[in-house]
Formats: sequence, structure tokens, C-alpha cells
Amino acid sequence: MGTVSNVLMFAEWWLYFGAAVAFYFLTVGIERIDENARGAYVFRPLLIPGVLLIWPLVLWRIAVLERNKPEGFGRYRPLRTAHGYVWLVLFFAIPAIFVTAMLLKQTWPADIPAVRLSPAEAVSQ
Amino acid sequence: MSGSKKDPFFVGYLSVPEGLKLFLIATVALLLGCFAALALTIGGTQDDPGDGAFRFDWGRQTLIGILEASPYPIVHVTKGTKRIPTGSTVLLSGNGKRGVQSRTTPLDGELVEISGVAIKRGNIEMLQLRGGRNGIKKVAGSVQMPSSKLLGRWRLSGEICDGKCFTGTMRPGRRLSHKACANLCLINGAPPIFVSSAPVNGTRFFLLVNSEGEALDNKFFHHVAQFISLEGTVEKRGNLHLLKADLSSLKRVP
Amino acid sequence: MSVKYTPVQWNANKYGYDLVLIGMVVLYILSFLNVAPMFLDHARPTDGPIVRARAFGTCAFLLLTIILCIGPLARLDARFLPLLYNRRHFGVLTSVIALSHAMFVMDWYFNFAPQSKLEGLLGANTSYGQVLGFPFEVLGLAGLICLGILAATSHDFWLNFLTPRLWKALHFLIYPAFAAVVGHIALGSLQSQDNSIFAIVVGLSTALVCGLHALAAWKERGCDKRGNADAGWIIVGDAGDIEEGRAKIIKLPNGDRVAVFRHKARLSAIANACAHQNGPLGEGRIVDGCVTCPWHGFQYRVADGRSPAPFTEMVPTYRLKLDQTTVLVDPNANEPGMFVEPTALPEHMQ
Repeated sequence: MGTVSNVLMFAEWWLYFGAAVAFYFLTVGIERIDENARGAYVFRPLLIPGVLLIWPLVLWRIAVLERNKPEGFGRYRPLRTAHGYVWLVLFFAIPAIFVTAMLLKQTWPADIPAVRLSPAEAVSQ
Repeated sequence: MSGSKKDPFFVGYLSVPEGLKLFLIATVALLLGCFAALALTIGGTQDDPGDGAFRFDWGRQTLIGILEASPYPIVHVTKGTKRIPTGSTVLLSGNGKRGVQSRTTPLDGELVEISGVAIKRGNIEMLQLRGGRNGIKKVAGSVQMPSSKLLGRWRLSGEICDGKCFTGTMRPGRRLSHKACANLCLINGAPPIFVSSAPVNGTRFFLLVNSEGEALDNKFFHHVAQFISLEGTVEKRGNLHLLKADLSSLKRVP
Repeated sequence: MSVKYTPVQWNANKYGYDLVLIGMVVLYILSFLNVAPMFLDHARPTDGPIVRARAFGTCAFLLLTIILCIGPLARLDARFLPLLYNRRHFGVLTSVIALSHAMFVMDWYFNFAPQSKLEGLLGANTSYGQVLGFPFEVLGLAGLICLGILAATSHDFWLNFLTPRLWKALHFLIYPAFAAVVGHIALGSLQSQDNSIFAIVVGLSTALVCGLHALAAWKERGCDKRGNADAGWIIVGDAGDIEEGRAKIIKLPNGDRVAVFRHKARLSAIANACAHQNGPLGEGRIVDGCVTCPWHGFQYRVADGRSPAPFTEMVPTYRLKLDQTTVLVDPNANEPGMFVEPTALPEHMQ
């Protein structure tokens, strides 16, 4: 179970880092980068799970926003490139998974008899 | 409210347009109806989980018998109870997903008193021992180990289960959705049971061991809970059947 | 939104929406746990924790199916738009139900062992090289993590903070999550039941999700007209085709979409993507003088693409000109919020 304990340790540290980022972000960072958050405290605990899960993304966005550069039109451009991969998932991956699993499904071998391959012999220990 | 009655336009923070109300009420009714119907359909067609169970209703069972510690600890009962009569052979387990090998290994071949709660499914019986010496202790006396009888080499089809859950700790305690749980029991020392689709010598349940008669190694774990065929020698020890299986003969059945 | 953040901006429709959601879940779970067993004639009942895991697991799957159907349904028929309005609460509830399913499983199958529950979950079955016997639990876990990320980032703050583009990209995780969940069910539960009712339900659900997405994409492709160029300007079409208070959407050579609105016999063009969640503004209406997004009702003034105070959202605007009755748009977007004088329609068209 060596791999498993490594995975679990990684997850644990991920959450520790997330907690540290959440503490900084929700007390100090958020007011520096989002003026709507200034003076608004009640909603902040709602953000904790999100920061715990995606804190690297949070750090990256803080860095971008702190540089205070205009973000151009990217912000207003919907993401259409993702549609291709949605098609791949919906029309290839999901049907393939479902059909494969159903084709491989086993039925209880009720009709397969027990086959004697060699005769019995009585042996006492 | 916005949009004309004929062409309603919903804006979340305004009241729902008249033209949409009926449509939304119908949609909500349909959703609620579908959910209730699906719950009854899915919930009302679950498979029968079998009749294995913890027999708390039998009360605590205290038995005396000869302990065979390997490959998996079993006791051939020499002084039984109304529920588990003399001549039975019972599998042993600890609490939860724990084996009792650490307690049984030093007592191999000895006459012991075991105490705990019975678990039973069909003709297979297990005793979940109480803790420490309350669960198993050596008692004075000597008895002959019951004879063993070889019943020939067989090819059987069925499923490898863990003896703890399958016997009745969990209902259902088998098939692929239970595989990880079964593996966890086996890793921690529960006896593996081969459930055959066809009986040999009147039983469909076999304590599964390797071809040398030893406890299974990890390679078997990949095949737990699937429907497979296996070749091996069937042996009756006391009142329990063993299947000494060749891993090389293992095949998945369709 | 652009006022101070609050945990939830409640209104009557959201209360109604959530009430229906909770009603669905309560009805489902109670029927599954208390009524359905009356139809079973088993010698001994299935373990309580397993029945609860099944009830919550199947409920989460059905909720996820509906969530995935709402988007394409709303594109196919605008009357379904109210279902989209508070979809995020739908998603959060689904994650909670899925998490409950996971907890019932963890506290039963992976409890009572010397190993921790997570060690048992990840370490007991390592048959990654097999289809049958594959550790389907990790697929469920992957789906659960995706749903958790979506639920945890559903607050409007995240939209603003991550930008709609990145937020959307993150929320496309719903599709791999659905695939993982279908795999989780197909390799676990469906392999372990002789009765095929649930397999049929899962098959129909996936077919419904995939089918509706295909239909909606096909419909959108049908309406997606790419404007022809005329000396750098793009032809939108005849001004008479645009109804009062509504828009015509045109696709620019760079792939962006422009919504050309007619308001009080004057034409204005703004970007089609709402600054909130990229909802299709051109499918909205003009309400109280503002373009109103069909998804969540965000509003923009037609002439400058700015939300009315106190809100601060804005979208890019575009220049228009008329050649007789033909409308042409300059494909170069203006800065978001830049005022463009609306183009008056010729008198005979007013």
C-alpha cells in the first residue's frame, strides 16, 4: 500500500497548503483584488472549500490581478474551443464505457456443471 | 413580468410571466412524478441479497473443539450447542475485518474453547470470536484430529468471496460492487470461500486454498467477485470442504 | 453581481426553485427507503447502509442527468430557461447527495478494518488492468471531486475572480465527471445486479443527455450564420428582419458573435456573450430599455454595453452602418462599455 499512502499524503498536503492560501486570501488577499468584497464578510466562509480544492489556480489569479494589467477581450470571449472535447466525451467516451461494460457483464454460471477430472481416493491424515 | 403573453420571457428576479406558469407547473409535476416513480422502480427491483446473517438471535455460542490453525483457522467441534452441534466445523474470524491468526497460530492442533457470535449461510458457519482469551483459550484434554477425505480433482465454476461478508456479515456480500470490501477482508485474514454454481458432495461452498493447501497469495485478489472456473482437488476436512485450486487453471466464464 | 457579495441573493423564484429541488430529493429518498422495500419479498433485507448508499447514489445520478439536460433543453425551447436560472443550487444539492452516497459506502464497506477508510478505498482493489473488477470506486471518487470543485466555485465571486472564460472552462468538468460517474455505475452496480431495470435507466439517461446535446448543437449550427464581408464590414442582413426589442446574432470571421438589437426603431450592436456566464445576450429581450440576458437576467444598455448603476458589468460594443436597408457591422470590437450612437432606421421602416 506504498502508493496509496503517498497519494493520501499528497492529498493531505494539498489541503494544508489550501488552508494556508485560504487563510491569507480570505483575510487580506481578497480585499486587494476585488473591491466588491471589501466590507463583505458573510459570504467569505463559502469560498473556503473552493480555495482548498483549487488553490494553485487561486494563487495564479491573485498574481495576475495584482499586476493590475487590463485583461483585454479575453474576458469577454466565450470558450468555444472546449466544445470539441465535450463532443468527444459525450459521443465517444460515455457510450463506449456503457456499451463495453454491458457487453462484458457476466451472468451467474448456473448451467455450467461441476466436472470431475479424476476419481476420489480416501486418504486419512 | 416581461414579454407578451404569447411569447413570454422569463427574468429570474421578476415574477414568472403568465404565459409560462402552466408550463412550469406541468414541468415540476412531471419531475416530481418521475422521481417518485423511479425511486419505486429502482428501489423495488433490487436483487435478493441471500439469507446469510449474524445469528445474534442464537445468543453467544461457546464451543469446544480442535483447532486447525492453517491454512485458515477452523475448529472441529467436539462439544457443541443446540445451534452448532458436535461434529460441525466452523470458520473463525475476529471483529470486523480482522482475522484471528495471531491468536490461533500458537494453539494449532490443541483442544480449545471458542466463544462468540455465529454467522451462518447455508451449510457454512463462522464464529466471530470475542476479544483475547474470552474468544479462544486452550482447554485440557486431547482428541484426535478428524480424518480428511480427498474427493478427487474437479473443475468448478463460481465466484471467490470473502468468508466473512459472504457468510452473512453483509447482505449482499458478493459480486463486483463488493470486490474492494472482499479484498480488504481477505488482506486482513478472512478465509476466502469459493461459491460454486454446482454442488460437489452436497456442498456449494468451499474454503479456497492454493494447490499446496496453503493460504492464498495476492494474485488471487484480482479475480475476486468475478465469475470464473477453477480446477483443483476437493478435500473434506471434518465437516468442511476445501478446494485446493491451481491459479493457472483459472478462467473467466462468459 | 457588482454589488457587495452576499452568500446567496435570494428572490421568490429561487425559493420556489429550491423548494422543488428539495421536494424531489425528499420524495425520492423516502420512496426508495420506505415504500419500495414493500415490493421486495426477500428472506432477509439488504443491509440498511447499502440500501441508503443505493438510494442516495441513484438519486445523485438522476439529478446529474437532469442538470445536464437543462442546458440543451433551454437552447431547444426557451420555455425551459427558468430551469437554468438557479442551476447552481441544483449542482450544489447534487454534490451533497453524491457525498452522502460516498459516506454511506465508506462507513460500511471500508469501515471496521485495521486500515483507515481511505487506505481501504484506494488500496484494497488494485486491478487497474482489468475492465471487470476495475476499482470503480476511484471513478466515483473522481466524479465526486469534480462535482465538489463545481459546487465550491459556484458563487458569483468565483466567476468574477477567475473570469467567465476560465470559470466556464473549469465548469466543463461536468462532462468528464458525468463520464466517470457512468463508468462508476456501469463497472460497479450494474455488474452486480441480475435485475436490469437500473441498467435500462442508466442507458436511457445517458442517451437522453447525449441526444439532447446533439439536437441543440445541430439547431445552433443551423442558425449560426457567418456574415459575408463587404469592404471590411460584415453584412448582418436586412434591417426589417429584426423585431422590435429583439436581436439578430451574427458570427464574425474571428468566431466571435455579435447581437444586433432593435430598440425604439434604432439599431445597436453588442457582443453576444454576457459578462456574467457568457449567456447568449442576442437570445434575450430588451426589458426596461436594457438588453436582458436570458440566463440570469443581467442587463446592459444597448448603446454602451454597460449595466445600469449600481452594477458595473460591461460588454464590448460594435459599430453599425446601413446600406439602404442592409445592416453592416464593423468586425473590430470597441472597448467594453464604449458608447456608440445607435443607428436610426430609415423612416419607412420605423
